[in-house]
Amino acid sequence: MSRVAPTSGTKVLYFLCITISGFLIYLDLNYKSFEGIKNFYQSFIISSSYFFKNATVEPIKFLYNISKDKSDLINENKKLKLELDKSYISNFIISRDSKFFADDDSIKRFLDTNNINEVFYLAKLEYFDTEMYLCCDKHRAFIKTYKTNKNLIGRPVINKMGIIGHIIYGETLSEVLLLTDTEHVMPLMSGNHFCNAKGSGKPGKIICLYNNKVWQEKVSIGQEFFSSGMGGIYPKGILIGKVANIREIDENFVEFDIDLVSSPTITNIIGVLKSI
Amino acid sequence: MRNIGTIKLLFIIFILSILESFISPYLINFYVSLPITFLAFSLAIYNSNRNSNPLFAFLCGFYLDLISSSPFGLNAGLFTIISYVINSYVNTFKLFSYIQICIFFAASSIFYIGFKNLFISLENFSYLVLFVSLFFNTLLFLLIVMLRYYFPSMSIKYD
Repeated sequence: MSRVAPTSGTKVLYFLCITISGFLIYLDLNYKSFEGIKNFYQSFIISSSYFFKNATVEPIKFLYNISKDKSDLINENKKLKLELDKSYISNFIISRDSKFFADDDSIKRFLDTNNINEVFYLAKLEYFDTEMYLCCDKHRAFIKTYKTNKNLIGRPVINKMGIIGHIIYGETLSEVLLLTDTEHVMPLMSGNHFCNAKGSGKPGKIICLYNNKVWQEKVSIGQEFFSSGMGGIYPKGILIGKVANIREIDENFVEFDIDLVSSPTITNIIGVLKSI
Repeated sequence: MRNIGTIKLLFIIFILSILESFISPYLINFYVSLPITFLAFSLAIYNSNRNSNPLFAFLCGFYLDLISSSPFGLNAGLFTIISYVINSYVNTFKLFSYIQICIFFAASSIFYIGFKNLFISLENFSYLVLFVSLFFNTLLFLLIVMLRYYFPSMSIKYD
């Protein structure tokens, strides 16, 4: 059966659909009207995969584990004992307290007696779109804290290498705006030099633009830039990155790239600072 | 893929969307972008025996917007446009050779990539990606078309 070309009525419907699409794009890009729906969907998918994994993979794993021979368990136990002994030797703090691994209360007592205050909430990276991170301007990560359900909007997010961004939205999952997102701006300093660094949309790179009539001090390749704390979000004096590439835009403005010291892809365990 | 059901198509789009998100980070290192979901949808419309409803294309795109990270309405609009183009010229395509059809689909995929980048990656818009993708996609489609001649058992038999 041959297909006929769209009638005028169908064409009107096509036109209507395309107009509605344009309107939806406008709403989404300008007012972020659908962020809630998208976040709900992401959390639904993550929860579903978690439950699915618990219902299918975990029982199989459990059966596999209990089917192991006793000798395997004994060997593993010996191996763990060896690892524990090694960790006692290599870690001075742990080796000071022989009951460190006993239970959670021991850890709390250790923290209390040594006056160690937690300065961050431990969190786990739940969803990170590497495709968007490598190709596009929008660099976001979705994290979930282990203990607290407090509203953490505006809190800096760190990993073991340094600052990676801050939280901009949070309900079940918290959405992190990464330093490299083109919507992200961060005040930086290096000595007496200040500039606002904007995300480049490229992994591991942010861009600073400054007026060389105002800041006459020259910037050099490899120069280290630190957070200035002037944005009210990030703490002051944290190493952010090193100058990589300097370009003269015109006679008044100079732009340079900063290679970040931190990367969101390095680990999935991160921290959300309690306050600056 | 002739007259594929709606549920089946949505499921295929879901699977292909996941596949695309796995493949894209590797392909972009070679300046190649392959919009698998868009091409699968185009193929479904192209192979269908009857004209699809504009709302069907719109809702399929809307569904893809929900499951991917693109702004709402972007895929919905692009799916509607490609559906309109294919439905309008489906009889003309019968006069085309396989090479011309491959070039058409490669060009439409480049239009899709370019339009998408205008919204989600304007500051890193790259003509290099577009040109390399055009070349790559055309070759890939030709290769897929040629497979049915070299391996006749792989081709789908229609009545």
